[in-house]
Amino acid sequence: MKSLIIIVLLLVVAPDVSAIAYCSLRDPVAQIKQLFPQKTNQLSIVKDIDESTRSRVKQALPNNDLHFSELGKHTLYVAMNNQDVLGYVHVRSEQSKWGLVEIVWALDKNLVIKDFAFQRCRSPKKALLDSRDFKQAFIGKNYQSLKKLLSSNGITANALLLDKAKQAPELANVVLRCALKTLLITELLWWRELNQLE
Amino acid sequence: MGIFKCLQPYVQRCFNEYSLVLLSLSLGLVCSLASYAEPIENFRWSIDGSARINNNIASDNTSRIFALGLDTHKVFTSKSGDIGYMVGQLYFTKLSNQTPFPWMFDDKDDSTLVVREAHVNYTAGPAGMPNIRLGHFTLPFGLENNLDTNGRLLDYNHGKNLGAKVDWGIGLNDVLDTFQYSVSYTLGGKDEPKSINGSYAVTGRVGSLSYHDFVFGVSLYHAEMDGVKRKRVAIDWQYYWHTWGLLGEAALGKDTKQQQWRNEQYYLLEVNKRSVDEQLKLYTQYIVTNRSGDKKNNQLVNIGLSYQFNGQLELSMSSRKQLITPESGKKQHLVRAQLRYRF
Repeated sequence: MKSLIIIVLLLVVAPDVSAIAYCSLRDPVAQIKQLFPQKTNQLSIVKDIDESTRSRVKQALPNNDLHFSELGKHTLYVAMNNQDVLGYVHVRSEQSKWGLVEIVWALDKNLVIKDFAFQRCRSPKKALLDSRDFKQAFIGKNYQSLKKLLSSNGITANALLLDKAKQAPELANVVLRCALKTLLITELLWWRELNQLE
Repeated sequence: MGIFKCLQPYVQRCFNEYSLVLLSLSLGLVCSLASYAEPIENFRWSIDGSARINNNIASDNTSRIFALGLDTHKVFTSKSGDIGYMVGQLYFTKLSNQTPFPWMFDDKDDSTLVVREAHVNYTAGPAGMPNIRLGHFTLPFGLENNLDTNGRLLDYNHGKNLGAKVDWGIGLNDVLDTFQYSVSYTLGGKDEPKSINGSYAVTGRVGSLSYHDFVFGVSLYHAEMDGVKRKRVAIDWQYYWHTWGLLGEAALGKDTKQQQWRNEQYYLLEVNKRSVDEQLKLYTQYIVTNRSGDKKNNQLVNIGLSYQFNGQLELSMSSRKQLITPESGKKQHLVRAQLRYRF
C-alpha cells in the first residue's frame, strides 16, 4: 500500500522529462549546416518546456496543444561564424496523420523566419512543400505576421497559404502550426539568453 | 591483429583514474568559463526506473529484473560555441530468479551497479576534423547505432552478435553533408576500462544521414573478447512510409566461439507501426542465425508493443518464439513485460 501511494505521488508530482534515454539525443548538425552554410560552430541552450509553457501556448493559440514529447528539456541552437551570431535553429514536432512531423526552423536575430527544412516527415506530399515557392510564404515573417495566415478556427491555414500548398493542405496546416509554436516558445523561453548574446 | 593490439596501451592510458579526474576537471573548468552573465546550464537528468517480468515458457521459469538509475546529459559550452557533451547513465540493477543471468552478475538473484553509457564527445575540433568520443559507449554497428534500445524490450541483437553492446574506449565520429560515420577502438573489458587477456574491439559504421526516410549503413567489426575472436561485416537499412517502418540488418562473419573459426550469418527483418500520436508502437521481427557446422539454422519471431502513457510512463510487452526445434529439443518461448517510469 505504501509503495502504491509513493508511485501515485510520483505520477502526480513528476516533472516533465524526456521519454527517451538521453544517449539517443542527436544534434541536427547537417540541417544547421544546410540552413546556415557559413556556420563554423554552434552554441546549444537547453531550456525546460513545462506545463506552464504549455498553458501559455494554449492561451496564445486557442485550440492548439503541445504533444507530450514536446515537453521536457529542449535545445535552441545558435548558429555561429566564429564568435558572430548568424541566427537560431529550433527543431519542433507537430502531430499529423503521418505521425510526428519534425521541422528544423532557421530564425534570424529578430525571431523572423529565414528558412526551414523537414527533419522527419513521412507524408508522401513533403516534396510539394519543400519548394521555394511555398517556403516564401513563411520567410521574412515573425510571429504576429505569421498568425495572420491562420484561419478563424485557429488550427488551419487561410486560403492564401492553402493556395500555395497545392495538393498538400493538411501538411501546410501542420507546418503553419509548427512555425507559430516555434516562434512563440522561442520568445517565451529563450529571450533572456538570446538578449545576452547581443 | 598486431596493429590493433599495439594500440591497447595508448587507449588504456586514457582510462587510468588520473586521466578521468583531469578530464572531468577540465570540462568543469571550461563549462564555468562561459562568457554570459548567467552560465548556460545545459544539463538534463532524470531518474529512470523499470520493472521487468520474464516468463520462459520452454523452461517453465519466471524471473524479474528491476533497475533504478540516473540518466544524465550535459552540453559543455564556451563563448565561441559548444565544446562537446557528456552522457552518464548509472543503474542499480537487481535480478530475481534470472537464468541464465547476464555476465556482469554473479548469480540469478544478484544485484549490482551497472554503467550503461558514460562518455564525453568532444565536438569543437577544427573544420573537417572528426569529433572524439572517450568513455563507455555503444559499439557503432548496425541498426543499434541509430536506434537506441537501452533499457527497452526492443533489441537488435547487438550484444549477442558482437559479444558486447557497450565497451570502454575511444572513437571518432562526424555528421557530414551527405553521410555520417562512427569508428571506435575499445578495450574489450566491457564494464571494466581495461583490456583483459589482450582483448580489444575495432568497430565502425558509415551510413547515410540518420533522419532521412531511407537510411542505409555498412558496418565492420574485428574483435577479441572473452577469449573469442570475432569478425563481422554488416549492412543495415531503415525505410519509413507514413506510420510504417521496414528495417533490416544482415551480418556475415566468423568467430571462434567453439575454439576453431566458424562462419556465421545473421539476418534481422522488422516491420513496425506507430499510432499517429506515437503513443503506441507495434513491431514484429524475424531473425535467422545460420552457423556453419550446425544441422539446423535458428529462426526466431519476436512480436512486441510499447505504449507511452505520457512523457514518464511506458508499458512494453514482447513475445519471442523459436520456430525450428533446436538439437537440445525445446523451442525457446519467452514472454516479457516491462513498466518503465522516468521522472
